[in-house]
Amino acid sequence: MNPAGGAAPSRTPRGGIIRALLYLRCMSLRNLLLSRLRRLKQPKYLVGAIVGAGYFYMMFFRRSRFDRAGAHAAAAAVVPVDLLPAVISIGAVVLLIFVALAWLVPDQRAGIAFSEAEIAFLFPAPLRRRTLIYYKLVNSQFAILFTVALLTVFTGRWSFLPGNALIHAAGWWMILATLNLHFMGSSFAVTRLMDNGITPWRRRLAVLGVIAVVAVAAAVWLGRDFRGPVPSDYANLRTMAGYVNSFLSTGPLRWLLLPARAVVAPFLASGAAAFFLALGPALLVFAAHFIWVLRSEVSFEDASIAKSEKRAARIAAVREGNWRAARGALKSRAAPFRLAPAGRPEVAFLWKNLLSTFPLFRPRTFVILALVIVAGVNWMERDAGFRGLLPVFSATASMVGAYVILLGPQLARQDLRNDLGNADILKTYPLPGWQVVLGQMLAPVAILTGLLWLVLLALALAFHPQHWAWLTPALRVTIAAVLVPLAPVICALQLLVPNAAALFFPAWVQTMRNRTERGIEMLGQRIIFVGGQMVVVILALVPAALGAFTLVFATQWLIGPVAAVALAGAGVLAILAVEVACGLWWLGRRFEQFDLSAELRP
Amino acid sequence: MIEVGGLTKRYGTFTAVRDLSFAVRPGEVLGLVGPNGAGKTTTLRCLAGIIPATAGACRIAGHDLAADPVAAKRALAFFPDEPRLFDYLTVRQHLAFVARLYGVEDHEARAEPLLVELEIADKADQLPGELSRGMKQKLAIACGLLHSPQVMFFDEPLTGLDPLGIRRMKDSIMARARAGATVVLSSHLLHLLEEVCSHVLILKRGEKIADGTLADVSARFSNGETGVSLEEIFMRATGGTES
Repeated sequence: MNPAGGAAPSRTPRGGIIRALLYLRCMSLRNLLLSRLRRLKQPKYLVGAIVGAGYFYMMFFRRSRFDRAGAHAAAAAVVPVDLLPAVISIGAVVLLIFVALAWLVPDQRAGIAFSEAEIAFLFPAPLRRRTLIYYKLVNSQFAILFTVALLTVFTGRWSFLPGNALIHAAGWWMILATLNLHFMGSSFAVTRLMDNGITPWRRRLAVLGVIAVVAVAAAVWLGRDFRGPVPSDYANLRTMAGYVNSFLSTGPLRWLLLPARAVVAPFLASGAAAFFLALGPALLVFAAHFIWVLRSEVSFEDASIAKSEKRAARIAAVREGNWRAARGALKSRAAPFRLAPAGRPEVAFLWKNLLSTFPLFRPRTFVILALVIVAGVNWMERDAGFRGLLPVFSATASMVGAYVILLGPQLARQDLRNDLGNADILKTYPLPGWQVVLGQMLAPVAILTGLLWLVLLALALAFHPQHWAWLTPALRVTIAAVLVPLAPVICALQLLVPNAAALFFPAWVQTMRNRTERGIEMLGQRIIFVGGQMVVVILALVPAALGAFTLVFATQWLIGPVAAVALAGAGVLAILAVEVACGLWWLGRRFEQFDLSAELRP
Repeated sequence: MIEVGGLTKRYGTFTAVRDLSFAVRPGEVLGLVGPNGAGKTTTLRCLAGIIPATAGACRIAGHDLAADPVAAKRALAFFPDEPRLFDYLTVRQHLAFVARLYGVEDHEARAEPLLVELEIADKADQLPGELSRGMKQKLAIACGLLHSPQVMFFDEPLTGLDPLGIRRMKDSIMARARAGATVVLSSHLLHLLEEVCSHVLILKRGEKIADGTLADVSARFSNGETGVSLEEIFMRATGGTES
């Protein structure tokens, strides 16, 4: 009898252990799916799921008329059979780079990723180390299969690929599963080396030495047997591919890439026969890795526990919306500027929130970028050979500007969205609500404004299309000068929307902040949110735009286009400033009444 | 000075605090006690201006919390049970931030002795993530004390502190009260309240059961017995149940 009252089992049958571990995995997956399905009863998840599914369908499954029309043309664009060896060789090189990194990067003992619950239940359980490894290998198949499904759907739209979806899926599985085994095996080998007193830097030097030896051997071999490229090798894609393939198939490189080629080949098989022909060597490589991993018994428990603790802390940080902490241990930073003890309190929030973001977002960085833009445009204008790049530069700047306007407010979140958890403390500060909201918004406004000003600078200097005669230099400068003060106001207007959502729908925003939450419904929620923000901003811009057009048309005949644009700009600025002020006052009132604990009650 | 009259807080149909009235004078330490769900934290959050009361009036250092919340908040400090800190500000940066919000122009002169008193001077350039639970608590206290508040609210101030930390916290609260601060604290640790508080207010289901000096409340529930502990008084006052 044991102290708990029953007879302790003398030994757990091996099949029983495997069944128990599979049961754990399958039940976890089943319960995850059930909980996802159950939460669809809540409208916010159901609507999100519908929108997310629609997006997924439109992006990956729906064949538009355009696609169908292009399908026949695309069929002709499938990689020709004589190019396949080159494509396989390049794929093998990429795979080999990953393999090299697996030996170069690690600086700690092998720590297989277990969850905290898995460590609590499995590590003290009467299981052999090899059983745990086996469990992790089976466990990793769920993630691999999910990734395979995504990649197959994604690469299904690559019309130039030979083969079909089934071949692609099996090919992806072979690549990912073999890489997974190699990462685990190499981490065990690295651990063994460390246990034998070989430091990470000595190991790295040794790996780099091996790479250097192979490179030198290849160079010597190539110098003896292989000719350098000649202009005819660059004639077209086929000749280039032929040259690359012959280069990668010469001497030591051929043998070095052989296993990696074997792993990549099934993915690029053109049909069933070619696939099965390629599968044999790939399975040999896979089997060799499998045996290697199962025979590599090293002590990974300590490192796994440390890894799981770090992982749990990272997940907790992400759930708090703290991405800086999620990236690893935080380090103290120099303040973005000196915060004087007296002055507008809003500036203190700007100072605080700039400290929470990348150290790159500092005035100095923007000044340096502005100087680079000025120097670059100047250089392109002076050099006739590069003047043709100016339109490309302008187009790129416009695209960056569009991204900043569309996605910037969603990405720059150093405002109330990130500080909702501290709402209680923020509310004890002796400030009216609008000042807290304004202060919290200043950091993202400053960051986005800085980016937009750089875009404006680039466009003002580089955008002067010759067929737009009406866009005189004076008018161009005036438009830029008008947009400079408008940029922060437009950014503030946009940021009012997500901050309003944080205060009016905190439960929704809390869920969205939790980026560990995944699923099609979360994707849909984010799409709804971005769409809603755009609609609100467009509605807010309508009065200002109408006023501006009216002013320009009414006054340009009298005062000229330059003055009319300046006048319209001032009018737009006034209208948007009033809108922002009203928004701040409204959100401030809401903040004063806000009680997060009550809002998050189920 | 804190004056509370008819304070009521409702969440929908649920009443968390009902018609609560009391006053705390400078130098007094009022202990809020009650079973779980009695409304202690809600009361403190209303008094600190974190959540608006549904009805009733609160005056903090002579300022009406509803009519002039900014002036009232300038006079108070709230210390939650779990220290709320900004992960990316160091100890010193926390103090600089708070100083700007409260307009404490001589904050550097004030901060140094405060950090020394709370024994975190050597941690001044560390982030909250590098501090122990007790150190974080001390940092939150330093931030709250920087503007020399006249009124202080402590919600479970001893949570997570070691015995030495508990002793220091008790000494600190009593020292501030002796210096003229008005203190309200909530705690389940009745022996702490016996040591620190001059007054006690017993809540149950959002309603006041009893309040007054420790001696007054003891006399009311001791039934003529002597040496009755606050724990026994609490059990008698609340009937020994949460509901």
